Amino acid sequence: MTSSVTNAPAAVDGAEHATLLQRLTTAPVLRIIVKRLLIAIPLLFVVSVLVFMLLEAMPGDPAQNAAGMDASPEQVEALRAQMGLDRPAPERYFSWLFGFFTGDLGTSIVSGQTVSSMLVTRLPVTLEIVFLAFVVSIGIAIPAALLAARKPGGVFDRVISFLAMTLLAVPNYVMALLLVLVFSVGLRMLPAIGYVPFMTNPIGNLASVTLPVLALGLPLACFYARFLRGDLVEQVTRTDYIDTARAKGVGPWRALWMHAFRNSSFGLLTLVGLNVGTLIGGTVIIEQIFQMPGLGMMMLQGAMSLDLAVVQMCVFIFAATAVIANLVVDVLYAVLDPRIRYGNH
Amino acid sequence: MSRTAKHTTTTGRVMRAAAMAAGLLLAVTACAGGGAAGEGPGEAGDPVAGGDLTVLLDAGFSGDWPTGFDPATSNGVGANLGQNAAIFGGLFTLETNDAGEGEIVPNQAESYEFSDDGLVLTIKLREGIEFSDGTPLNAEAVVWNWVRIFSWGSTSAPTIRLDDTRPAPEYSPEFMESLTNALPDDITEEEVNSRLSSIQAVDEYTVDIALTVVNGAFVNTFPTSPLNNIASPAAYAEQGHEQFKLTPVGAGPFTVVNNTLSDRLDLTRNDAYFKEGLPYLDNLSFQAVAGGQVGFQALQAGQGDVFEGLSDTTLIEQAGNTPGFQAVPGPATSPYVIQLNTRQAPFDDKRAREAIYYATNFEAINEGLFGGQAEMSQSFTASGGLFHMPEIEGYRTYDLEKAKALVEELGGLTVELGTTDITTARSVTTALQTQWQEAGIDVTIDAKPLGDVITKFTTGDWESMLQTAGAWDPSAGIGVQVRFGSSSPFSGAPLPEGASSGEEAVQLGLTSELDDLLAASVATIDPEERAAAYEAIATYISDEAYAPFGTAFTPSQIVRDGVHGPGLDEPIPALSVNQGVLYDRVWRAQ
Repeated sequence: MTSSVTNAPAAVDGAEHATLLQRLTTAPVLRIIVKRLLIAIPLLFVVSVLVFMLLEAMPGDPAQNAAGMDASPEQVEALRAQMGLDRPAPERYFSWLFGFFTGDLGTSIVSGQTVSSMLVTRLPVTLEIVFLAFVVSIGIAIPAALLAARKPGGVFDRVISFLAMTLLAVPNYVMALLLVLVFSVGLRMLPAIGYVPFMTNPIGNLASVTLPVLALGLPLACFYARFLRGDLVEQVTRTDYIDTARAKGVGPWRALWMHAFRNSSFGLLTLVGLNVGTLIGGTVIIEQIFQMPGLGMMMLQGAMSLDLAVVQMCVFIFAATAVIANLVVDVLYAVLDPRIRYGNH
Repeated sequence: MSRTAKHTTTTGRVMRAAAMAAGLLLAVTACAGGGAAGEGPGEAGDPVAGGDLTVLLDAGFSGDWPTGFDPATSNGVGANLGQNAAIFGGLFTLETNDAGEGEIVPNQAESYEFSDDGLVLTIKLREGIEFSDGTPLNAEAVVWNWVRIFSWGSTSAPTIRLDDTRPAPEYSPEFMESLTNALPDDITEEEVNSRLSSIQAVDEYTVDIALTVVNGAFVNTFPTSPLNNIASPAAYAEQGHEQFKLTPVGAGPFTVVNNTLSDRLDLTRNDAYFKEGLPYLDNLSFQAVAGGQVGFQALQAGQGDVFEGLSDTTLIEQAGNTPGFQAVPGPATSPYVIQLNTRQAPFDDKRAREAIYYATNFEAINEGLFGGQAEMSQSFTASGGLFHMPEIEGYRTYDLEKAKALVEELGGLTVELGTTDITTARSVTTALQTQWQEAGIDVTIDAKPLGDVITKFTTGDWESMLQTAGAWDPSAGIGVQVRFGSSSPFSGAPLPEGASSGEEAVQLGLTSELDDLLAASVATIDPEERAAAYEAIATYISDEAYAPFGTAFTPSQIVRDGVHGPGLDEPIPALSVNQGVLYDRVWRAQ
């Protein structure tokens, strides 16, 4: 442990030796969790109202859109009544809200399937992609940043910085097409489209999600790597505790990994929390490109056909995920940093 | 259907942007990608049985089947031609005859005939056809299907007026129970009886349908209509409504193995198919992809053998130049048309409409955007369609000086040009903007997703719209009536005198001169009389300067070498947007 380094900010408290479970159940952390939850609930309510209002403001007539160009005015009217669009907007909103709390998430006007049954099949796909994209992005970013920060201005630093800058400039949909061109069209290593469920074929599943995960994760890895590298260099070159550690004979790698990285990880954690929304938003495009039957594709298809129940629930889930992710980050802060747990800051 | 995608996706726009970035790499990898080894185009040889085929479909159009394939409840029959043909086979098919022209051919039907007054269509079915569940495809099965189709409210259902004045025949209690169980809950007994009066089983293999007005285009619409797709009543009873949408049972060449809506459809050979030796393929899959760029890459990656209906001209060219693939254009049917809304300014003034005619140079657009490959038209069909008229007497062609003079006489002309937000249409509107500006016309482009374009049409508040008109039969699908009939919400042609809206015109029984001409085009089953009517319509539209017509462009089928069949490397005219593919006769070299 780092307790021997007396001025490392996060490493001095005796509570560091407590287990994670113990830390999670301390009164200050519980207070933080409750407080954040109390903020999250009205926030999600506001999000649900905003989503509803935005969908109301969207141009186009959902009934006409669902009916298509060939439909007669009578067919469109019948569909409008069937969709409940002839009812006032507030009534429809509260009906939706009531349904949400009673487990009725509505029915797709296009497919006739219940939104809940659609979610059951689609949510796992998106969660898998998003989770793996995070793993990949962190898995690439941390070693790359450590390698670059080891010798600022050195060969590794310059190469990694160049790659990170270049890849950051590539939007993820372009990244997706480039990955397909290289790994599917050129090398024939990985499938260009399609999703294989894990339970059907675990290897096939891994192959089918690799390119979507890379397309989502690589830009994020570059972003994290650049941030972390900068923070690490800052820690190494401008903080006394690293100098002290080095003076005590701690090697440069150990100083980076055990001391500087520990402090920089808080900033990284914040970024990860903030990026949950970005990442999930990215699935809307990526799932479409790779034809992954996830939530992102469901939302895009819903939006194009003005399938309100579907879009409403997808946007709400996206927003709720971002809120929950930030809540988790806040709690982790409290768990990891005693200054926050005990209100020192 | 218009040539536009059912739902133009945001991703589609993103894809196009990405296509620019990926173009260079694509060109490089195109050589490396290649296709499966096989013979090149033009070396088809004799069909052989066996093999699997994966067909890629644009998720914005035929790759979108959110309502499934129950003929009574599917909303995408006109777009999902290939899937429906593979599952159901169809009473009629559109095929290319020896003269290279499109022709309706009885398939599960043996023959058809109209009554002398043209109001009753009688169809004789082939005997001995069975659904893949072993039950017979007979007249009662057709009645069961057609009554459902007119009862469920699907937007694919044809809008025809049924004659319900005939006494309905008696059916067995089992049949009536089966039918009632397959209808929506809110359908009344009176409605059912009314439909059973219009649609009748004459004998075991003969069925007829009675209409209140003659519809000369009726049989020609079958391949794009749910009436063509006959499903098994027994399988419906067994599966129930929700499941049947996913795994319907027909008497087509293939049966459904797996169906993930708007994603993937896996089919396997129907060994009980009524045509001996067919289908050739063992398995057939349809996979949706996010547009042409992704689809072509997936083809190159070996994840598909066919891309149905590629409309991006750059990609078509690339595909055609890629070893291992061929790009096969379909015969052109529906040309682009610039609809001018005569019901409001500025196009309520004929001079403004004439200025647009004179300022529009579709020949230049054809050269610039389509490499001269598209066909030019002065009316609502191209050479692949019925009643094609290459030139219309008195048609105003490009004349910049005349356009300038008219604009000056009008004291200037400001125009909003709307379009559906897809690549080709956007390119055409941009070119038109440039041309019109040369004539002094101030142009803004308003490109919107299809749903918004529909809404814009229905509000009536639009000035000009670039759309497509016509179909294989000009009165089928988004045909000439939809674009120019005064009661159609998608028309900019003048309202009848005394009517302030299309609905009011219908209520008051008022028609315009053009309405009468349009009605005459379907009020007969005589092809010669129909041809004369369409010539009169085209001339009228041209004389009144309602809508300049332009390039007729059809999407291409991208086919891997060694894959052959009608609708793939043997073109069939596009019924509405894409050409149909007769998958029972598609085969691949082994």
